[in-house]
Amino acid sequence: MKMFASFTMLTIMILIYPIVMTLSSNYNIFNFPKHVKTTIKSAFLFSLIPTFMFIDKGYEAIITTWHWTIFQTLDISISLKMDFFSMMFVPVALFVTWSIMEFSMWYMHSDPNVDRFFKYLLLFLITMIILVTANNLFQLFIGWEGVGIMSFLLIGWWYGRPDANTAALQAILYNRIGDIGFVLSMAWFLTNSNSWELQQLFITDHNNLIPLLGLTLAATGKSAQFGLHPWLPSAMEGPTPVSTLLHSSTMVVAGIFLLIRFYPMLENNQTILTTIMCLGAITTLFTAICALTQNDIKKIIAFSTSSQLGLMMVTIGINQPHLAFLHICTHAFFKAMLFMCSGSIIHNLNDEQDIRKMGGLFKTLPFTSSALTIGSLALTGTPFLTGFYSKDLIIESANTSYTNAWALLITLIATSLTATYSTRIIFFALMGQPRFSPLSPINENNPLLNNAIKRLLIGSIFAGFIITNNMDPMNIQQMTMPWYLKLAALMVTVSGFMIAMELNNLTYFLKIKSTSQQMKFSNLLGYFPSTIHRLIPNTNLMTSHKSASKLMDLIWLEKSTPKLLALLQLMMSTLTSNQSGLIKVYFMTFLLSMLISLPFLI
Amino acid sequence: MPLFFLNMFSAYLLSFLGVLLYRSHLMSSLLCLEGMMLSMFIIISVVIINLHFTLTFIMPIILLVFAACEAAIGLALLVMVSNSYGLDYVKNLNMLQC
Repeated sequence: MKMFASFTMLTIMILIYPIVMTLSSNYNIFNFPKHVKTTIKSAFLFSLIPTFMFIDKGYEAIITTWHWTIFQTLDISISLKMDFFSMMFVPVALFVTWSIMEFSMWYMHSDPNVDRFFKYLLLFLITMIILVTANNLFQLFIGWEGVGIMSFLLIGWWYGRPDANTAALQAILYNRIGDIGFVLSMAWFLTNSNSWELQQLFITDHNNLIPLLGLTLAATGKSAQFGLHPWLPSAMEGPTPVSTLLHSSTMVVAGIFLLIRFYPMLENNQTILTTIMCLGAITTLFTAICALTQNDIKKIIAFSTSSQLGLMMVTIGINQPHLAFLHICTHAFFKAMLFMCSGSIIHNLNDEQDIRKMGGLFKTLPFTSSALTIGSLALTGTPFLTGFYSKDLIIESANTSYTNAWALLITLIATSLTATYSTRIIFFALMGQPRFSPLSPINENNPLLNNAIKRLLIGSIFAGFIITNNMDPMNIQQMTMPWYLKLAALMVTVSGFMIAMELNNLTYFLKIKSTSQQMKFSNLLGYFPSTIHRLIPNTNLMTSHKSASKLMDLIWLEKSTPKLLALLQLMMSTLTSNQSGLIKVYFMTFLLSMLISLPFLI
Repeated sequence: MPLFFLNMFSAYLLSFLGVLLYRSHLMSSLLCLEGMMLSMFIIISVVIINLHFTLTFIMPIILLVFAACEAAIGLALLVMVSNSYGLDYVKNLNMLQC
């Protein structure tokens, strides 16, 4: 049993070691990317041991290492909470990251700063692990901010591109708005519970809406829920490994993970659960609609991620945090694989990301296209692939629980749209005749690429089964339901597939109206970025400009006294005078009356 | 002494007549106003010095100050009229009517 703590610390120390050693000068690693990949592989293997201990014996631990500071009555120390959530997530994250590192060794091999890239990815991984193993909110916040910063650095990796810089800044700004909620919750917990340790927070019965709303806002910012969502599709400006690691599997689930961590507080407050569910339902439908008409393959997958995040929020909203966590773990596998397949396609077509310029890749990229197909099938919840074990269970629980019917309906529609846009990707990228320039050499025979995708492929097929069979059932599922509820997810998915294929085949034979209103709505992301990104900054700047120059300078210094007095005098004189300007007549009258009165005076 | 009074009073009355009766320029009225002020000043100074009203020695100075103010206002009005109409003809002031 004493191996538990040491293997946990070993996992974390192995990951920190390359970062720390880059500070010293005699750390000449010849092939730093391969070194990092081996580091992560060994960290994964070491992290399996505590996980197996947990699965076998239910061994959980809270490891408190360093007493950091005492701030009057608040103790802060470094404490790692190794419970079900962190212990299942860490091996999954490390496995996916291992494959991503191998993939990016192929993808970024011609980049001159590839060492720095791997260092950034490793730093990101470390902060993500800090986030999921945190036992107090301070450590969680460190991880939270860390993943935000690394996201900024990695999205803006090609900093010569202004779009990339804008996207990185957008990510930071939207995450910051979510951080307001996080800090609000931290402050509330500090003043009402005098602690940031999760155990102490769950003991007291607070039943107050404010900290939970703050946490929801934090999740909205970090996990790109509706309202703070535009940063996620813009984050596709970064290299594909960045999109794979951050914006599909790991960083964007940080917000959901936060809400899952706080499930003891959430489950007693029906208001916040309804809020979370409605927010998740809106997100999943809206982003699925936006994904239907995008033309960039990475953006479609990004919207797919956003839609699945909305689904995770819905799951939390129906009080099933463990199902949401299961969906996080399974989603990591197939989404990372989808991104890697798209990266393979992009690189092989000489950096072509527009699906309208791809096609006919079934024969030329057989391995990638089969991985893409299996990934899409897993995403849509095909029975007994990975996604089925989480997604179908979610839809079943939602169908049989006492919830908001509108949110449920929206979630079902979004599920069918999942099938639709997955079919769209497959149809445009893989099927038909090639629409790309024939000059780019298509070669997917690199073992780095193949092994990475193969590993995630096996994960996409089997991981759901493996994880579900090793999880303790935390909630009693509703086992009996009518057949149409049981098959609801499958039926809407199949109908989504069929409708999508029908519509896609229509484009061969019928000419449809080129850009309809719905197409414009969907393609421009519901006009959300177009309005919000201009309206709010413009309002702020105009207000400050007008208040500084017009209000302060013009009015107070110029118009309040001098011109006001002149105006008033003018107005009064024109109003009250009834003179007619006959001056000589007036003077004559004056003289005559003086002369007449003169004898009486003298 | 009575001769002095005759002289000064007639100066005052003549200037007064000049203020009230003039032909076209507003400026001539203002000039005669200054003449009125001047004769008033001399009358007051001589009478006060002859009759040794010590406490009223300040009065001519105050008269000067107020006369300066009034001259300034008169000139400002002249300038306003001149700005609007181009000349200070007194018939300008009620010419524009329908």
